[in-house]
Amino acid sequence: MTKTKKSIAAGAMLVTAGMLLSACSGGSTEPTSSATATDTGSETTATLTVWVDAERADSLADAATAYEDETGVAVEIVSRDNATIKDDYMQQASTGSGPDIVMGAHDWLGELTTNGVVAPLELGDSADGYLSVALDAAAYDGTVYMLPYAVENLAMLRNADLVAEPATSFDDMIAKGTAAGAEFPFVVEQGVDGNPYHLYPFQTAFGAPVFGRDANGAYDATQLTLGDGGDFAAWLSAQGAAGTISTEITGDIAKEKFLAGDAAFWLTGPWNVTAAVEGGINLAVDAIPSPGSEDAQPFAGVKGFFVNQYSENKVAANDFLVNYIGTTDVQVALFESSSVLPALTEAAQAVSDDAIVAGFLAAGEQAVPMPAIPAMGQVWQYWGIAEAEILNGADATATWDKLTADVQAAIDAQ
Amino acid sequence: MSAPATRAHLPRSRRRRPMRTLAKHAAAIVASAFALFPLLYVLSAALNPTGTLTGSNELFKSVGLDSFTRLVTSDQYPFLTWFKNSLIIGLTTAALSVFLGALAAYAFSRMRFVGRRPGLLGLVLVQMFPQLLAVVAIFILLTEIGEIFPAIGLNTHAGLISVYLGAALGVNTYLMYGFFNTVPKELDEAAMIDGAGHARVFFTIILRLVTPILAVVALLSFIATFNDFVIASVVLIDADQQTLAVGLYRMVSNPNYADWSAFAAGAVLAAIPVVALFLFLQRYIVGGLTAGAVK
Amino acid sequence: MEHTRSLTALGRSGRIGPLIVKLLMLGVLDSVLVFLALILIGRGDWGILVIVTAAGLAINWVYLSKRALPAKYITPGLVFLAIFQVFVIGYTVYIAFTNYSTGHILNKDQAIESLLSQSQSRVADSHQYPVTVVRDGDAFGFLVTAEDGTAYLGFADQPLAPVDATFEDGTAVAAEGVQSLQYADILANQEAIFDLAVPAGDSAEDGWLRTLDGRSAYEYESSREYDAVADTMTDTTTGVVYTDGGDGAFVAPDGTRILPGWQINVGLDNFERAITEPTIRGPLMYVLVWTFAFAFLSVLLTFALGVALALLLNDPRMRGRKVYRLVMVLPYAFPAFLGALVWSGMFSTSFGFINQVLLGGAAVPWLTDPTMAKIAVLLVNLWLGFPYMFLVATGALQAIPDDILEAARTDGATPWGIFRHVKLPLLMVSMAPILISSFAFNFNNFNVIYLVTGGGPRDTAASIPVGFTDILISLVYKVAFTGQMRDYGLASAFSIIIFVVVAAISIVSFRKTKTLEEMN
Repeated sequence: MTKTKKSIAAGAMLVTAGMLLSACSGGSTEPTSSATATDTGSETTATLTVWVDAERADSLADAATAYEDETGVAVEIVSRDNATIKDDYMQQASTGSGPDIVMGAHDWLGELTTNGVVAPLELGDSADGYLSVALDAAAYDGTVYMLPYAVENLAMLRNADLVAEPATSFDDMIAKGTAAGAEFPFVVEQGVDGNPYHLYPFQTAFGAPVFGRDANGAYDATQLTLGDGGDFAAWLSAQGAAGTISTEITGDIAKEKFLAGDAAFWLTGPWNVTAAVEGGINLAVDAIPSPGSEDAQPFAGVKGFFVNQYSENKVAANDFLVNYIGTTDVQVALFESSSVLPALTEAAQAVSDDAIVAGFLAAGEQAVPMPAIPAMGQVWQYWGIAEAEILNGADATATWDKLTADVQAAIDAQ
Repeated sequence: MSAPATRAHLPRSRRRRPMRTLAKHAAAIVASAFALFPLLYVLSAALNPTGTLTGSNELFKSVGLDSFTRLVTSDQYPFLTWFKNSLIIGLTTAALSVFLGALAAYAFSRMRFVGRRPGLLGLVLVQMFPQLLAVVAIFILLTEIGEIFPAIGLNTHAGLISVYLGAALGVNTYLMYGFFNTVPKELDEAAMIDGAGHARVFFTIILRLVTPILAVVALLSFIATFNDFVIASVVLIDADQQTLAVGLYRMVSNPNYADWSAFAAGAVLAAIPVVALFLFLQRYIVGGLTAGAVK
Repeated sequence: MEHTRSLTALGRSGRIGPLIVKLLMLGVLDSVLVFLALILIGRGDWGILVIVTAAGLAINWVYLSKRALPAKYITPGLVFLAIFQVFVIGYTVYIAFTNYSTGHILNKDQAIESLLSQSQSRVADSHQYPVTVVRDGDAFGFLVTAEDGTAYLGFADQPLAPVDATFEDGTAVAAEGVQSLQYADILANQEAIFDLAVPAGDSAEDGWLRTLDGRSAYEYESSREYDAVADTMTDTTTGVVYTDGGDGAFVAPDGTRILPGWQINVGLDNFERAITEPTIRGPLMYVLVWTFAFAFLSVLLTFALGVALALLLNDPRMRGRKVYRLVMVLPYAFPAFLGALVWSGMFSTSFGFINQVLLGGAAVPWLTDPTMAKIAVLLVNLWLGFPYMFLVATGALQAIPDDILEAARTDGATPWGIFRHVKLPLLMVSMAPILISSFAFNFNNFNVIYLVTGGGPRDTAASIPVGFTDILISLVYKVAFTGQMRDYGLASAFSIIIFVVVAAISIVSFRKTKTLEEMN
């Protein structure tokens, strides 16, 4: 027994020694880190630190290496947790330890500019080369802050083995899906708290966007047009009663049903394409069939890069973004490694011979940027819950009116 | 002084009662089912490369090791490095936490001094403070420390371990303190009379008598460190420095792109060291040492 | 006894060794401290210097003095505690007295810099000039190629003027008397070049040229001007003058604020807001009752199950108990959020395992009914928490000497009686503090609420986003972090208030455990 005691003690000592060693080795490797490299003498070539979403880190690694070969500027891609990247960035940007560039979504812009941690960009004449929805989303209050690199929007995925033809309208889709004998003619991700992002195309089909736009085309917080959604609410209530849309269908369940061939149509984004194709589904991607009199307009989420206002490498950062990431070749390469639709028109066209990509492009023609204004934050808090309630049988008109009133009150209170 | 001797005076007089044994096993099996069931979903997700986490109750409908091989061999994830980092950080933190905690518990249990009880209480109270801003504060602190001592600043294992050691004194100290109190004072008093110093009493007598609680605290500390990602993700920046938890959480932090099978596979692999450590420590936790040594 | 005897022999011969080790370690520590002190003096951090010096002297005294025995044992852990835990608390307290929140995360200089930077924009439809950055002595300048293909040269204090230049592919790349910079040179002087504004003409109205990427320059104009003397920000397009309103932002006479603002000390404002905040006060009683119930029941259930299993599996006659024990620890070996997510899927009304398989197709509204959702959260928390109690109880049980149990058995006590009157009281000696801190932990257990129900089902009658399983801390998150607003100041004030409440409860409870402890 004394023996085992000794082995524990020895183990503890080994571990302690290990810690000391790791501390020492940590010390010796330290000078390679960005913080020390950037602020040293004038002969040192710059190192750009770029924070990116975890799932994009790998596709950017090649671009980073290629840029370094071209200009000598090292690009260090730091993969960050999506859940905390935005708050971490806000907290660290001005401390001198923050990154030079951060990847994010265009709807961060309201927060980034309010906090003053993002520097304006100048796309120059290359601006004309971007998809209009991407360019639209990259600007806030008329100033461009983001280099757009990818556009994401919902589209209607169809199991072509079950239904051969695209649906012409929402009702046609349900009819076709039912006729095909699928357990679920149509699935869309909801959940107990609803999911307004996925229902937005249907809402706009009834002519009720969230905010109106001012003369410059920017979303205007003083024009809350959400309240025009009475017809949509009534329609949603009917769908809930008929069971075509259900809060019981979570993202996981929708995916399982579609992959198992139990659902004919699936309203989702490009992120699920790989799983559907690998799952052996004969996949077709269509524009979103409208249940109302207007087009079904999904939200477009535009991914891009922001330059830290407090970066010491702003010239290199701007060059990397505007003159490198903003080129067709790089955007096509990024598409090939991560399947996100490029934000440059030329790059988007170059990859659109793929039927699936073309389908998302077609669905995206109607897409509108998700509002980035701070008031949108107030909308999210109430929107999904109200929709979930309506789906579960609450009075459509009263619930929708309360939603509008609550949102208006929350916006006014800010 | 050996285990069989300890067992010798356990009551053997009463005979086993089959009904009672059966009932005990029934209870243990029900509890096991409760403990295990959710983990079957995790295992199923790990084995089904295109599957979801909770989309279906049809578990194990497709079984393959794709996610595991993808994870371990992938160029994208330095999985083995993460694993190694986690082991180093977890074991070091556990060992040092036990050591620092035991030192303090010894003082609180064996010595009488002004502020003893308030001190004990204070240790526990400090850890009750809501950790709402902990991440911001620790980032700022390690940035500052790193400017003077880069070896324990941001992006270093030693820095992260130091942060974890900040919690070494706390409720675990109290736990050890309670256990130390159960070791009869006569033992160390006798040693002291024989001329042993307080340090010798602590290292050679007390520590061996409280092994069960040391093992428990080591395990708790290891698990907490091994699974922490909130602090580790802020402190460790470079992929090669990061821990398993940080690396794995990133795979699922965007719901749209969440790779549940890789995450689940990673979680299964990450559970192995915990299980191994538990199996290793189990004999110290329930080895019947105390009873034997006190005799 | 055999041990103690052999120790004594060792003890006499080995006195000098530990002393040397101790002195060596102190020496290392002191040299590090001196190094640190020198750096702090260099940086002028006098406050920290005083703290470091005092701490250093105290540590030396503790280890060199013959007294202060307890401190010798407590100090190592205390140092880490003081640096890391106390700093976090101190920082939170500090933030609670500031307006640190969205729009107020910078200092004033940074905010001004940012406001000016945001106000600069390219003159609409102006030309994109290819630029060669040049240097004349210490001054950087631009050699630009105009629309008509001619070259212009200018510096910060010297407006653009035509110049004879060498052209390459229609772009001016070099000019007499100035040195053209290679890209590496540009990078080496990034900040100076990024900030360089070369006047486009003699008059200020002509605007100026800037380059962001070192390759193209654009004509810029600014819509804001900062007057450092008057400390005012003027909107040059409207003429409105914004002054420092004293609340961390520039304010127009009509009360319009422009953001970003900056951090200021706001005294007790956050505490006042925390107490008067209507969105908290409305549901406060309901949430508070549930918070207490949740924390108390979570502790009770995990403790009961953990101890029951520890007792069950502590029976040396029980076969397979090692395997059972391992199984009980497994939930703890997996990331908690994975377990919570699986549970929340299993609770799904129409598709979940619990309703579909365990309850044979029942439609229990686990997550949508206020009462069932509470049960669901408690169940998940039980699953997440019982392995901890099991482990601790298993360890603590080892401290109960067999002879006491045997004596009780000989006296004819029933197994329940032994548990109730012998094992439980002894267990409580080491476990009571665990229960109290477990209560405090669950009182603030934001994660489990967030992961399982998100506080839902939502109280749809309320006009604020509060749900039936929201506990105090999750409500605080919803109030302080709504939409795009991150109000760290308010959140910190709430944390402190919550801490005071929890600490008060704990102190009272600890008083009670004193009696338990003295039983030993």
